[in-house]
Amino acid sequence: MEQFVKEIKKGIKVHILNTDKFKTNLFAMFLTKKLTREDVTKNALISMILRRGSSKMKSQEEISKKMEELYGASFDCGIDKTGDNQVLKFYIESINDNYLPHTNENTLKIIIGTLLDIAFSPYIENEGFKEEYLEQEKNNLKRRVEGKKDNKARYAIERCTEEMYKDKPFGLYKFGYIEDLDKIDGKNLYKYYKELIDTCKIDIFLSGNVGEDAEKLIDDNENIKSLKERAPDCIFPKNEDKEVKEENVVTEKMDVSQGKLVIGLDVNLNDDKQKYFTLLYNSLLGGSANSKLFQNVREKANLAYVASSSYLRYKNIIFINSGIEISNYEKALNLIKEQIEDMKQGKFTDEEIEENKKVVISAIKTIGDEQDTEVIYYFGQELTGVTVSVNDYVKIIENIKKEDILDVANRVSINTIYFLRD
Amino acid sequence: MQVIENLKVKEKLFVEKLQNGLTVMIIPKKDIQKKYMIWGTNYGSNDNKFIVPGEQNVTEVPNGVAHFLEHKMFEQENGTNSLDVLTALGVNANAYTTNDHTAYLFECTDNFYEAMDELMDYVQHPYFTDENVEKEKGIIGQEISMYDDYPDWRVYLNTLEAMYHNNPIKIDITGTKETISKIDKDILYKCYNTFYHPSNMVIVISGDFQPEKILEEVKKRLITNKPSGEIKRIYPEEPASIVKKEIVQNLEVSIPMYTIGIKDVENNNEDKSFIVKKDIGIDILLNLILGRSSNLYQELYKNSIIFGEQSLSYEFGKGYAHILISGISSNPKELFTKFKYTVNKLKEEGINEEDFQRLKKMAYGNYVREYDDVQNVSRMFLADYFKGICSFDYLENIETINSEYLDQLLKDVFKEDKMVLSIVENK
Repeated sequence: MEQFVKEIKKGIKVHILNTDKFKTNLFAMFLTKKLTREDVTKNALISMILRRGSSKMKSQEEISKKMEELYGASFDCGIDKTGDNQVLKFYIESINDNYLPHTNENTLKIIIGTLLDIAFSPYIENEGFKEEYLEQEKNNLKRRVEGKKDNKARYAIERCTEEMYKDKPFGLYKFGYIEDLDKIDGKNLYKYYKELIDTCKIDIFLSGNVGEDAEKLIDDNENIKSLKERAPDCIFPKNEDKEVKEENVVTEKMDVSQGKLVIGLDVNLNDDKQKYFTLLYNSLLGGSANSKLFQNVREKANLAYVASSSYLRYKNIIFINSGIEISNYEKALNLIKEQIEDMKQGKFTDEEIEENKKVVISAIKTIGDEQDTEVIYYFGQELTGVTVSVNDYVKIIENIKKEDILDVANRVSINTIYFLRD
Repeated sequence: MQVIENLKVKEKLFVEKLQNGLTVMIIPKKDIQKKYMIWGTNYGSNDNKFIVPGEQNVTEVPNGVAHFLEHKMFEQENGTNSLDVLTALGVNANAYTTNDHTAYLFECTDNFYEAMDELMDYVQHPYFTDENVEKEKGIIGQEISMYDDYPDWRVYLNTLEAMYHNNPIKIDITGTKETISKIDKDILYKCYNTFYHPSNMVIVISGDFQPEKILEEVKKRLITNKPSGEIKRIYPEEPASIVKKEIVQNLEVSIPMYTIGIKDVENNNEDKSFIVKKDIGIDILLNLILGRSSNLYQELYKNSIIFGEQSLSYEFGKGYAHILISGISSNPKELFTKFKYTVNKLKEEGINEEDFQRLKKMAYGNYVREYDDVQNVSRMFLADYFKGICSFDYLENIETINSEYLDQLLKDVFKEDKMVLSIVENK
């Protein structure tokens, strides 16, 4: 598993992951732009309007038909929040020609051309996005923003993030805000779009049995040729200094039958190496079935079905997540706090460390088994500037010592306790 | 071992039926790090009424036993929990229960044989006590509450409620807090002893393996078992009619969620290629009617009635078969009306050949795609096996479908008096 990387123009990189392990080829492109309150809604809306048509395929119906014709190639375009960036993600995945009956077409060339056309050559009327499409996509976006509440568990995590990052970019909702929509029209959005395309960081990934000429297929593409050099307007994640504040306790009411308890933790790191230790710390705290949370909150106290934690490496935060009987709030909270405290006291055994190392290492080793996972792995390296091979990654985890984890445990503090109840 | 090769996806399946009745299926995948093993029993939430081999009387158990049993299988007599043991090996272990089967699985890169030891040990050694059964009621109770907060799960169950009078497909896999309160260790042992017999089970393994060697490793770990008699499963008579046309439930959601159900007749045809063909055919029809390139989809999208791809599926098993179409919609009733209108129009006008050929290609690609991941492959072969189907048959049967077949299928299955609408919306 290796990638070939080439900067084709300043700020634009092509990553090629050539392998014959898969029956599919994946072509992905990420446009990374600094997350701001001013642009958040516009970026989200752009990810939706681009799906509606391009200069060559004037409607989503045409795009869909083309995808179906390519043996059900799957095309998607969406928006994500990665650290303090908003990332427009484009994907096309299609079956490799070796697994298709009687074709004489070069499917790879077609999907590359199609995706670049959708992203860089949108359907335009009167120097703007088509107003009819835009109105529909505004409705669609409004529905998405309002739909934030529909999945209660995810909503609780989203709300906890907002509380932790009030008035900061990472507290913004990735789909943006309804009140922004009125000011946006086809013309000003298109103007902004051109600015975005000229200033964002661009990463192009090709994974699969893509052959020797894959690089050339991209180089020769007209849409690529017309892109300008740029100094990307994005944020490369760094360890931020976090001050320990008083716990922010938030309770919100909604019509739920189960209480959703989310605890947001700050991890104050000053060295990138500590991120690996935090990964293992998180596994011990709540990342695996052999973790403190799973064992004590679920298996011993039987308070929950879900009791877990996850680590967001770009922001150095951990979310503890659990669904509990509403009347058990105090009990569960105290028990969770006890687990955090036990970690600080070093109450975890060498055996537990070894077990959790295996869990983490197994996940690392399988990165190359799935195309999208591998792409995201290399994109992460691209943003952080830390290049590490999978083998070295495994070695780093193997060599972590108890004192490393203990050090991280004592850099952890509770930022926000969020409870959703009836 | 029997070897079945499929030239379209360039994969091989190795199958062996052992003397005690256990079926073992192996799908080698070269150069993949991940190894996957799944052991399933043909026993799910629908199997609540049965005659134990050798007995005369009918046994009836509370709803949710199969799922409860799945939770409890991990507990061992020596006080350990097999999930912990497997996790300690660096293995990702899990289990799940469906309407017709329960499965225990793990996925790993290293320690495969150690994990196999543990998996095969715990599935063959149940250990239930009054105490450990009681404690699980708290955890499963929270699992039930969690599902109560999922509007998409509610809208699905209500659809089944509207379609089925008696068939147990309509009951919740987990049971309810009330039904699980009646479960005790004797019930669990009885169900275990009845359904966890090798002749009722299948093992599927996928990864970079030598099939013969893996088979020997499986055999070594099996406790020899006497052959068992046939389990008689009793399912209630199900009328062809639906129960009611519409169910609406109020939950706090920003936009209504809907499911359209179309009740079909049970597929009890002995010829399995008949069922495979029908399954593919319905998939193509659903995409013709409401897939992304369809006129109906475009119209609904333009009017902000739908906002993206709808989920389209066909489910079938013992005593039931139905189509489900679901998603979110600003106006499910209008969507339902237009859906019915489009179905009728298609019946009159017949299938457009160009659309059909395009969607047939898509169906083909979607089946090929399933073979890249060891988990997908293993789960697919397992689930299809319990329906009497070999997964390769889907790839082989696509070509036999033509538009005349689809025209007939549309008339036979998409009947207006068999359609129901389930909605979850705000108060």
